[in-house]
Amino acid sequence: MSKPNTDGGANVTRTERPLGLPRWVAALLPILLLGLIVGGFFAATPFASLDTGGEPLPDVSVTHTTLPNDETVILHVTNNGPREVTISQVLVADAYWNFEVQGAGGDNTLAPRESARVVIPYHWNPGWDLGVALMLSDGATVHHTIVAPSQSPGLTGDLLLTMAIIGLFVGVIPVALGMLWFPFLQSMSDRWLHAILAFSAGILAFLAIDAGFEAFELGEQVPGAFEGTALVALGIIGALLAVQAVSAWRKGRAAAGDARAQSGLWIAYLVALGIGLHNLAEGLAIGSSFALGQVSLGAFLVIGFMLHNVTEGPAVVAPVARGERPSVLHFLALGFLAGAPVILGGWLGSLAFSPTLGAFFLAIGVGAILQVIWELWGMMGRNGRAASALNLVMFLVGLVVMYATDLFVAL
Amino acid sequence: MPSQDYSQAAKLSERLEQRLVDSIESDFKTTRRAVLGGLGLAGSAVLTGIGRADSDESHGPGDDSHGNFGAAGEYRDTDFDPHEFLYQFNTGRGEQENVPQDIYEENGRTVREFTFQAVDTTVTIAPGIEFPAWAYNGQVPGPTIRAVEGDLIRVTFENLGRHAHTIHPHLRNLNPNMDGVPTNGPGVLNTGDSFTYEWIAQPAGSHFYHCHSLPLKEHIHRGLYGAIVIDPDPERVAEKPEEYCEFHRSQITDELRADLVAEAKSRNHEYPENDAVNEMVMVMNGFDTNFDGDNEVYAVNTRAFAYGVGQTDGKGNWQAGETKRPIQIDKNQRHRVYLINAIEFDLINSFHTHSQFFDYYDHGTTLLPTNRTVDTVMQCQAQRGIIELDYSNHDSGLYMFHAHQSEFAELGWMSFFEVV
Repeated sequence: MSKPNTDGGANVTRTERPLGLPRWVAALLPILLLGLIVGGFFAATPFASLDTGGEPLPDVSVTHTTLPNDETVILHVTNNGPREVTISQVLVADAYWNFEVQGAGGDNTLAPRESARVVIPYHWNPGWDLGVALMLSDGATVHHTIVAPSQSPGLTGDLLLTMAIIGLFVGVIPVALGMLWFPFLQSMSDRWLHAILAFSAGILAFLAIDAGFEAFELGEQVPGAFEGTALVALGIIGALLAVQAVSAWRKGRAAAGDARAQSGLWIAYLVALGIGLHNLAEGLAIGSSFALGQVSLGAFLVIGFMLHNVTEGPAVVAPVARGERPSVLHFLALGFLAGAPVILGGWLGSLAFSPTLGAFFLAIGVGAILQVIWELWGMMGRNGRAASALNLVMFLVGLVVMYATDLFVAL
Repeated sequence: MPSQDYSQAAKLSERLEQRLVDSIESDFKTTRRAVLGGLGLAGSAVLTGIGRADSDESHGPGDDSHGNFGAAGEYRDTDFDPHEFLYQFNTGRGEQENVPQDIYEENGRTVREFTFQAVDTTVTIAPGIEFPAWAYNGQVPGPTIRAVEGDLIRVTFENLGRHAHTIHPHLRNLNPNMDGVPTNGPGVLNTGDSFTYEWIAQPAGSHFYHCHSLPLKEHIHRGLYGAIVIDPDPERVAEKPEEYCEFHRSQITDELRADLVAEAKSRNHEYPENDAVNEMVMVMNGFDTNFDGDNEVYAVNTRAFAYGVGQTDGKGNWQAGETKRPIQIDKNQRHRVYLINAIEFDLINSFHTHSQFFDYYDHGTTLLPTNRTVDTVMQCQAQRGIIELDYSNHDSGLYMFHAHQSEFAELGWMSFFEVV
């Protein structure tokens, strides 16, 4: 009933009827047995004798706050614990205050992993820190300080337009300006072009490091139930492997003789995609700083990111500096892919900022960037020695330039 | 004397609820069914919570965009009523069902006998907030004992709690074995143990009892405390007036003696003169709900804002809540407050009346005021006294009284007299 088979060069013996069962039965059997065992655990409660009556502690986090007007404070809360919790009272500046819980199914009780908004009518003072505390039915308190409160923008056409314009200036225009180096790049020797590619890799490496730390930092604010650190790790590795899979598929096509897949344009698009994902996170940062009312911080971010993003332009176009010049449409598409996500990020950040979303987007950006560096390294290696002295120095210069422009953002 | 009976409050709620339904229907054009469903959740919280943000009418009470302080919602647990507790004295005549008691003569002395049981329970200290308490006879504060100077108070104490407890009375106690401390007499009583304490009721005054097991802070703050009121004996006052005032015996005139005796009669529950006075027990306490050594809830008689108004618009329009309502008092009566500070984690507490000055008797051991015409008194931990109030000249209406530690007031120790 069996026949020899070959698979990837290895000799494998495949059985048509494993254990004499039809294949689908053999596939389902382990799952069925697992179900029985798990069901048995629930039914028999074998750990009952270990139960000391200890109850899990309530774990509720205030992920962020919004201040839609100067008479309202909204806390966004998530129940991280395994048991439901009831928000019985709310303290504002150490005084009991009236409040309303919205989005928890009509009562003040949050099921595990449920999120809700606590709306408090309170006339707050701009710039004066405000301490709030949720009091749960068992008396446990959840404290949160709103640092330097100021009004959050609401969903208006004005805001969307403002964010779009900011995004244009922060993302699209600087990247486009950077891409204007293209003719200059074309005139370079292979040696210097590789140096520029190394410089691009340095820029991307710095962005990956910077965004990576930020993602993990933001991950700490993610409600415990969503495992911020694991989420960031998943985002990084997931994005890296996803983009790499696309890249490997491209290489497969190139090997099969597809001319378009062999061009540097693919790499340019990958670079643009990585930078675009990174810029989405930049947009989130700008948008959320406006959402949190920190307009002055937002303005600094805008200036900083503009300077920062100019250097991303040559990184995008360097891979196509050799060979046939792509059409202008490709340049537009590359610039748009790399720069426009700032606009999207700005909208998301100002309207629906949450640390969970922010950390995840940042992580995806980091993963995509790491893959692009990998790709650039391969590109340099195919046409010469990647780790030449010049390339290494230029990689370092890329890091330093990014560090220097990053100082504007950090101001 | 409940200020507003429950059926009346229920009717008010119903009327307001109907008005809310009507107004929402016209305003938002939602289906009636959706509104009624929504009401279930907004329910009494919106309608009767102190200063709850109000959606029923644009100019009605509680419509204040700045929000209102105060615990949201009403008390659901009716096991303990701070309004009842105010007037609940146990003199041995069976006043309180959950406190077995008796009164009889023994060797020419009146004996007032009580049975106390320490139990582990939970008490509701703010709407929706349960505090794991240790309590005498299941209530915090414990039952108020009232005796006359010279009586024998006999308390059979049974410990049904998980921890070892005692009862330590703040009385002039001549037998160290009856002091209720770990080092004397029976020491601490373990789970299931019992002991009969015997104390002579002396001196006259507003006194205090509490558990003296270690750690002290925890055993007291968890709820093991209560009031002992010792009424002065007018006959003894006539004999030894100098013990009830700051004057030397040689300075006592017949007139002063007569005044002191009259005051003693008004303080003694066995004399008809006492009936003319509206007497209240107020135990100032606090609760650390998250075990950080700081109180999250402050109150007089355990429940935050229990004597607050149900709802107010800040313009003099207010409504009583079902469980949170002012203490209604008759302006023609004299009012006496037995005030006790049972706070833990804070060094002091205070009592402040609005638009009113009162006479204060520190510890209540004198029949002449120790502090005249004041509107604020301070008490350190375990300090107590008697406050005598007269609202006869005041217009009817709401008069605040609260701790003048603003923090305590905003965390629950904020109350009102409604003078009628």
